[in-house]
Amino acid sequence: MIFQDSTTLNLRTGRRRKRGTFTLRLTSMIDMFTILLVFLLKSYSADGQIMTVAPDLRLPESTSKTKPPLVSVVAITREWILVDGRPIQKLEEIADNETLIIPSLQNELARLRNISEGIGRLSQQMQGFSGTIAIQGDQDLTFDLLKRIMLTCGQVGYNDMNLAVIEKE
Amino acid sequence: MNLKQSMKRRLRGHAGETDVNLTAVMNIFLILIPFLLLTATFMRIAVLELTLPSLERRDRTASAQPQQSIVLNILQIRDEGFLLKSPNLTFPELPRFGGEYNWQGLKEQLQRIKKKYPDSEDVIISPANTIRYETIIAVMDHCREAGFPNISISG
Repeated sequence: MIFQDSTTLNLRTGRRRKRGTFTLRLTSMIDMFTILLVFLLKSYSADGQIMTVAPDLRLPESTSKTKPPLVSVVAITREWILVDGRPIQKLEEIADNETLIIPSLQNELARLRNISEGIGRLSQQMQGFSGTIAIQGDQDLTFDLLKRIMLTCGQVGYNDMNLAVIEKE
Repeated sequence: MNLKQSMKRRLRGHAGETDVNLTAVMNIFLILIPFLLLTATFMRIAVLELTLPSLERRDRTASAQPQQSIVLNILQIRDEGFLLKSPNLTFPELPRFGGEYNWQGLKEQLQRIKKKYPDSEDVIISPANTIRYETIIAVMDHCREAGFPNISISG
């Protein structure tokens, strides 16, 4: 993989080449590699992706630069409501519900709150319940559903919401 | 004199076939490019922060700092366009042009509010039920750029 024998490539300067010796013109390849290297260095990030995006979900674009916090994620795809990747409720089942609160989501969030409060009580160093939650919504999601999700989160006590978006270049 | 001549001769002797030893560069490239390709992230995720008013929180903040006079800016997003309301300022409704919202007009109206109330930082966004999530995020972006970072959403 690494060229140790420079004579095979005939890179050594000042050597008179014999007739028919094989020569590689590397200039254009080096050009290409340089461009590739600069591009990859630009898109390099030392801290990896903290949040994973649910499948079947296209996040909207935004100019925000705030990094996502390490919290539970409510994802609203085209068909399902997911909490931390677990499917909770199918959207069509609650589409024509009159009440704004979504009961299954409320139960799940209350369970999560109980767990994190329990952890907070166990140890001072562990982060307990912070009231922060991340919401990943599909870009075609309409506001009436988003409103119900946000209301449900707020009812359980998750008042700080982080709307996940894709950073615009 | 001698040196100059010999330099000249040496240069002439190799004219046209100066090769740079690229082996080391190639080695660096071959190592760096796979490494960077593996760690590259092409899609960065960010978040927009949003806080709902809550009873616990209101008690906490109200005692901590005296209430400032709040300028209530309300921005309605409807299917037909934007409608911005601010105390002592009246704005015409901004209709959509051919499916596209009037972002330029919204920017100008927000700047007028900023001129009149430089300390104002709050905007309440009130979208209609049919508004898409993407549009809400775009409106929040425009509000932040115009200098209103405290955004609330009202149903």
